[in-house]
Amino acid sequence: MLTLLKSWVRPDAFQAVLTERSGRWYNACLRITRDADLAADAVQDALLKAWDRRDDFRGEAALDSWIHRIALNAAIDLTRRRKTRAEDELDDDSFEAAPTTSPESEYAQEALGRDLGVALQRLSNMERQVFLLKHIEGWRLDEIAESLQTTINGVKHALFRAVRKLRVELHVWRGES
Amino acid sequence: MISDDDLLLYYYRDGHDAAERARIGAALAEQPELARRLHGLVARLDAAAAMPEVPVPAQVQQRWQAALERAASERRVEPARRPTFAQPRWQAFAAAAAVAVIALVFGIQKPMTPKPVPTPETGAAATNTSAYENGLKWHLASTERRLASLNEATPEERARLVEAIISQNRIYALAAERAGEPQLARVLRAFTPVLESVADGRGQTAGSVEQLSFELRVMQARLKADAAAPSHTL
Repeated sequence: MLTLLKSWVRPDAFQAVLTERSGRWYNACLRITRDADLAADAVQDALLKAWDRRDDFRGEAALDSWIHRIALNAAIDLTRRRKTRAEDELDDDSFEAAPTTSPESEYAQEALGRDLGVALQRLSNMERQVFLLKHIEGWRLDEIAESLQTTINGVKHALFRAVRKLRVELHVWRGES
Repeated sequence: MISDDDLLLYYYRDGHDAAERARIGAALAEQPELARRLHGLVARLDAAAAMPEVPVPAQVQQRWQAALERAASERRVEPARRPTFAQPRWQAFAAAAAVAVIALVFGIQKPMTPKPVPTPETGAAATNTSAYENGLKWHLASTERRLASLNEATPEERARLVEAIISQNRIYALAAERAGEPQLARVLRAFTPVLESVADGRGQTAGSVEQLSFELRVMQARLKADAAAPSHTL
């Protein structure tokens, strides 16, 4: 524990936190984007942004949490930009099936499809992102609204819709009436 | 009648004003059925959100490392400054409580998670377990640091910091449940009201922490006894 705390103040904190915590960032971004390449790009963007802004980091949150948040925002932004580019041609369903080309993404894509393949797939992008940011990441409603460029009421309604859909899905899984 | 939507916002500690929050809190205290409904709802959502971690592909990890090294080579890293300050009594007490929780949680963790011999079949599971344990260590270390830094915070900042700790606690409690460690999840969740009282500056912090510590020690003793049993000595 002491080693962990001491390492915090060393100049190589970025390298250390990358080694230790990048898996968490990557998985969080993967859930948001549902695309291994976008998730990898989001983490890289976050690392570089955090590095550039490291003088602004005042230690009020853990470095890990700070980068985690930047990565999630990058993931949301990348997802939005890709959807904007593709929206004339693709709806949500075909967006989810967009091909990925890098070999390293195939395993992650397959694993993501396996793990995320049931209830959350029934949600729209907005509903899924709101649910993940609130229930898993613990963001405040106003933070989600700002990041997703919507209103707090919009976030609440998306959250409630997501919850209702997830409850229905879980009823089906478990054979409940 | 309290809707599921309102129950959920209550659980998230977000989206309600103080009066509404108090009304729902009082109703939950008076109506066990309502509390069961909330717990059932949260359990269903936790199940829906349960997603095992995917390992980062090696090439991706190398790409990040290279990008960071390139950026670092452009500008020299300056060492971070450690703030120095005197801690008031309640701060020192909160930090000590965090240390106690960390020590006790790790005391709980060890007997609960005997290490299996790695095999190809268990490799992925071991990676996930390792990531989870590492994450927990980081979270607890981070919690300790945040508590120590509360001294310099304004009441608003303090509330925000504590809120962040509570949110993270909830995430790790969820991870603990997924890892089959409901006791650890409960310990993490039990820390929440203590943190809330620290944030509010209420006078019962010491008693709450003592109660929590006592409960942790009882649990630790119970788990140690379990660990000594043949089924836990693999």
